[in-house]
Amino acid sequence: MSRVNTVLGAVPGEELGIVAVHEHIGYGMPGCELDTKWWKSPEHRYEETVPKLRKFHEYGGGTFVDATGICNGRDVDYYKSLSAKTGVNIVACTGFVGGDSALPFFARASVEYLTQQFTHEITVGIGNTGSTAGIIKVGVSRGFRMTELDKRIYRAAARAAVRTGVPIFTHLAVDSQPAIDIFGEEGLPLDRVLFGHVDDGVSQGKVRDTEIADMGGRLGFDTFGYDLELPDPPFWGRHRNERLEHFLRFVRGGYVDRVLASADANCSPLGWPGVKGHTVNYIFEQLMPDLRDAGIDEATITKIFVENPADFLTIKN
Amino acid sequence: MSEFAGVAARRTFNDRAAEVSRSVAPSVQTVLGPVGAKDLGVVSVHEALLSIVPGAQYAYDVTIDRARIFEALAAKLTIFQKAGGGTIVDSTGMFHGRDVALLEALSRATGVHIIASTGMGPEEMLGGYFLTPQTNPPTPWPAEKFADLFTREVTEGMVVPRIERRGSAGLVVTAARHAGMTAVEDSLFRGAAKTGLATGVPVSIRFGNDAVHDLEVVVEEQLPAERVVVGGLDRKDAVAAGAAVEVARRGAYMAIDHIGSSDDVHVTDAERAAMVAELVAAGHAGRILLSNDAIGYAVGQAPRDLPYDHLLANFVPLMQAQGVGDNDVQRILVENPRELLTVR
Repeated sequence: MSRVNTVLGAVPGEELGIVAVHEHIGYGMPGCELDTKWWKSPEHRYEETVPKLRKFHEYGGGTFVDATGICNGRDVDYYKSLSAKTGVNIVACTGFVGGDSALPFFARASVEYLTQQFTHEITVGIGNTGSTAGIIKVGVSRGFRMTELDKRIYRAAARAAVRTGVPIFTHLAVDSQPAIDIFGEEGLPLDRVLFGHVDDGVSQGKVRDTEIADMGGRLGFDTFGYDLELPDPPFWGRHRNERLEHFLRFVRGGYVDRVLASADANCSPLGWPGVKGHTVNYIFEQLMPDLRDAGIDEATITKIFVENPADFLTIKN
Repeated sequence: MSEFAGVAARRTFNDRAAEVSRSVAPSVQTVLGPVGAKDLGVVSVHEALLSIVPGAQYAYDVTIDRARIFEALAAKLTIFQKAGGGTIVDSTGMFHGRDVALLEALSRATGVHIIASTGMGPEEMLGGYFLTPQTNPPTPWPAEKFADLFTREVTEGMVVPRIERRGSAGLVVTAARHAGMTAVEDSLFRGAAKTGLATGVPVSIRFGNDAVHDLEVVVEEQLPAERVVVGGLDRKDAVAAGAAVEVARRGAYMAIDHIGSSDDVHVTDAERAAMVAELVAAGHAGRILLSNDAIGYAVGQAPRDLPYDHLLANFVPLMQAQGVGDNDVQRILVENPRELLTVR
């Protein structure tokens, strides 16, 4: 049976439609909730978020995969209401954006405990929401090197992925060798892992993208829209054409099965200003037209945004 | 950014309360508002009510049952009160399970004054927002930003994350790791000192591996030593170094605040009682503070399930047996904490 966990229950992979595979309803570093400078009323949050999701739906978007880890403001009850009112499937994740986003309780935890935490959220539920996670988030802490805690989280994620069949996506694809080693040791095929942010500006020169793809890993060109052409781009921004050319090299170079694309935008950021004007809808408003202008055919676009994510997200038992 | 109407209203209320307290009599900030310093009674200066290791609230095997927590804490506070206790300082800071509404309800229900704290530390207990912010490079917060965060918890109210500000913090607490103060902890200590200076609430520090050094960090910020309490002076390393006397000589309060603990790190109650007697004999009775560092309700950590009345019921007799007189007992349990906690 083809099955993907969304916040409103399991859906068949065939129903996902166009998928934005690495997005955020709202992300903030742990502790930002103590700083009132970021506080927004709930009505303000809905007002910032609902129109973006509705537009995503109107453009033909089917599924929004939220990459906000356990301590980064993940709010599954809120996601349930957004999904129910907009018709967009929302997939929530378990796991952590990186070791530096795991609060002390988890930073001290063993691989066994973390495995149990992730497995519980995938098979039983997230807190008392009744919703289950459809994917596991892991990542590399600031500094471009995997820390001991990052590795512990990757290993627990690998074990939970093997046990439950859900895939893993990563924050950053730098320092990939320890990750590949861990996945190998735990018996997780690399096509169950989406190595994210291979396209961001600060990672360039540090990502062994071809090697990852040749070994069977999936590549996430998932910071589309953080363009240096924006009035106030973030430090991980990159020139639009450079990113697009990078992506097209893989699409045209025989790796179309291995690539996924997304915008990593925040509908309503929780602990940072966000990037004005950047939304998940960059996929429809800029990226897809750019691909068509570059001569990419509809079948390939469907492969990238529908078939690849469905294959990736469907639980493999 | 948006503010809620309730925040503004509450701030006005607090400002008014603070004005009243300044004009009338020395007072301390409790979770139910300013209380006359003379009404505190016996104070336990370093305890934890609800203590949640950051992140444990998201653990799959943790259930936070407020009714059960309230019942457990109310029972413990009542025992403390029956033993003669008047005031408990909740030293958990702003990011270790502090629940202002719960503390208010507990104080109302039991009649025990509860003083809540702002502050954070050690570094290991902080969230990534403060340590690896979304900037390039990810430079940890400086002292000024911590000071602003803590000061607002005194002047504008304690944060209930993303909902409201509520009440006022009555002190700032921070701590350094036992292996020695880190750079971030240096910023935390300086930030705490700046808040003490700006608001008049005291600063409670838990030292790393050098009590005098860590005290000097806050004193360097121009905070008078008499506004500072140095905790953990009943650690074996502190006792071996003679840290308590050095702290008192500099004018700060010495907290012997793990009463009831006898482990690899701490001396025994018998040794503590002898220590108190020596300090009193040496003329330092005016700088001694005592507490249990009990955890009333622990989540995500081993419980430290010591009754809050251990200090009064079991330790005070040990002190008396060592020759500490009633006047000094009164001074240590009532007058010293009153002096420290009074907003200056």
